Amino acid sequence: MSDIANEVRKQVREERSFTVGSVLKNRWFLHIVSVAVFFLIWDKVAIAKAFSSGLPRPYEVMQQLWLMMFDPLAGKTLFGHVWASTQRILIGFALASVIAVPLGLLMALNRYVNAVVKPIFDLLKPMPPIAWISIAILWFGIGETSKVFIIVLGTFVPCLLNAYNGVRLVEPELYDVVRMLGGNRRDEIIQVCFPAAFPAIFAGLQISLSIAWTCVLAAELVSARSGLGFIIILGMNLSRPAMIVGGMVIIAIVAWGMSQLVSGLERFVCPWKRQIDGR
Amino acid sequence: MAYENVQVKTPLVLRLLPLLSIVLFFGSWQMVVDWEIVPSTMLASPLQVFQLFIVKWTDVNPDGGLLSQHIWTSVQEAFIGYLLSLLVGIPLGLAMGWFVVVEGLARPFFEMIRPIPPIAWIPLTIFWFGIGLEGKVFIIFLGGIVPCVINSYVGVRMTNPTLIQMARTYGATDWQIFRQLCIPSALPMVFGALQIALALCWTCLVGAELLAADSGLGFLITMGRRLALPDMVVLGMIMVGLTGAVIGVIIDYFEKRLLAGIRR
Repeated sequence: MSDIANEVRKQVREERSFTVGSVLKNRWFLHIVSVAVFFLIWDKVAIAKAFSSGLPRPYEVMQQLWLMMFDPLAGKTLFGHVWASTQRILIGFALASVIAVPLGLLMALNRYVNAVVKPIFDLLKPMPPIAWISIAILWFGIGETSKVFIIVLGTFVPCLLNAYNGVRLVEPELYDVVRMLGGNRRDEIIQVCFPAAFPAIFAGLQISLSIAWTCVLAAELVSARSGLGFIIILGMNLSRPAMIVGGMVIIAIVAWGMSQLVSGLERFVCPWKRQIDGR
Repeated sequence: MAYENVQVKTPLVLRLLPLLSIVLFFGSWQMVVDWEIVPSTMLASPLQVFQLFIVKWTDVNPDGGLLSQHIWTSVQEAFIGYLLSLLVGIPLGLAMGWFVVVEGLARPFFEMIRPIPPIAWIPLTIFWFGIGLEGKVFIIFLGGIVPCVINSYVGVRMTNPTLIQMARTYGATDWQIFRQLCIPSALPMVFGALQIALALCWTCLVGAELLAADSGLGFLITMGRRLALPDMVVLGMIMVGLTGAVIGVIIDYFEKRLLAGIRR
């Protein structure tokens, strides 16, 4: 039975008997079963060579990761590669949010800025950032600049859109309250617009972060000498699937950690935001 | 409250500015290339791109495919992957929202897959499927399934609890509540996923084609870079944007038609 319908239950602590059925329907029990089954099937499939040795065993992946932690690969250990990717993301992410968020706020607050910037933005928006990789390489070569450029392009769009929509969707009643209390336009902007747009801006940052990962990986897959994408593509070129899967595992962990960090920051900066249960 | 509907006329300046900004954008782009501020090996002017656009409908050189063939390949891959992700993702998300057993089993698996960008799967899929259609469909499927699952899950979770309690009072079974209450109330969220999934699918498609393809719009861009033809690169980018936008408009139309009877 689902618990969304039974909020009352949270308050009424019901002594439930410890039966086989209740254990089988316990969420945590099922989670553990699911993870165990996942790794078991993975192992069996890998041993059976269902993908013609294209899938390593989980154990081999762990071994490979352990190896990469201490053995430098192309001059860097695993931590060096993680840092290389993270650094690119941080620079691109910081640049994009510093430009895009104020621009989005400005667009929402000033009609003239909006009229100038919006058409160009709409023109460039539907192009996936990954499509820019080729031209970025033509412009900046295969160094750091082209990767940061891609990340800036990719993260720019959600940052700007969310800041823009965050201000536009502020409830008009809030403005009325400020005006009634004798506030002027400046109070309206500082006291209402910005705080009310914060949750939307953070949602934009969260989306940006996942796009930034996609972009940095794509850029590193196309051309790089370091980074997590480089590990994956090297694994492909050397026909070592354990390296590919190891790289993917690390990407998952780092990306997850970063998104947790942003949501932690969000809870810290705007604690008033309502949470949807189960997100 | 009886407010008069006031028609505010937008000032002439505000109506002219967007046009002006577009003209200025293309004008400065053309100038930058014509006056060789940027070398012509790095950027093509809008006119050159337009010329190539006309030529590519009939000329297969230098990349071995007409523009229409490239578009068709890309659209086909994107469509199959997108459809698969909808068919798997939406029922899974809906079931995860309502049935504890499904959620308990599927959630850890899903949470493990979710943080990995679909692009990271490309090398592994090349290993598994080669550079054919299947690999790209798999990547696109992975990209599209995440928003489908999340949105349908959240959609079911946001069902008004009062309605569920009322249905319970009248003796509805779990299955009846799920089918007649949760699914209809989740629909707007589910349809919201269609657009998000589409955008992600399209991005993944370009990524997949950049690395492993022998035709398609992403391949056109890659060939442009390899042959140092900036006009081809820009043409590829514009076609990617344009095709994506057109598909988006079509999906939007269907969304509006399907949601016509449902209050948001």
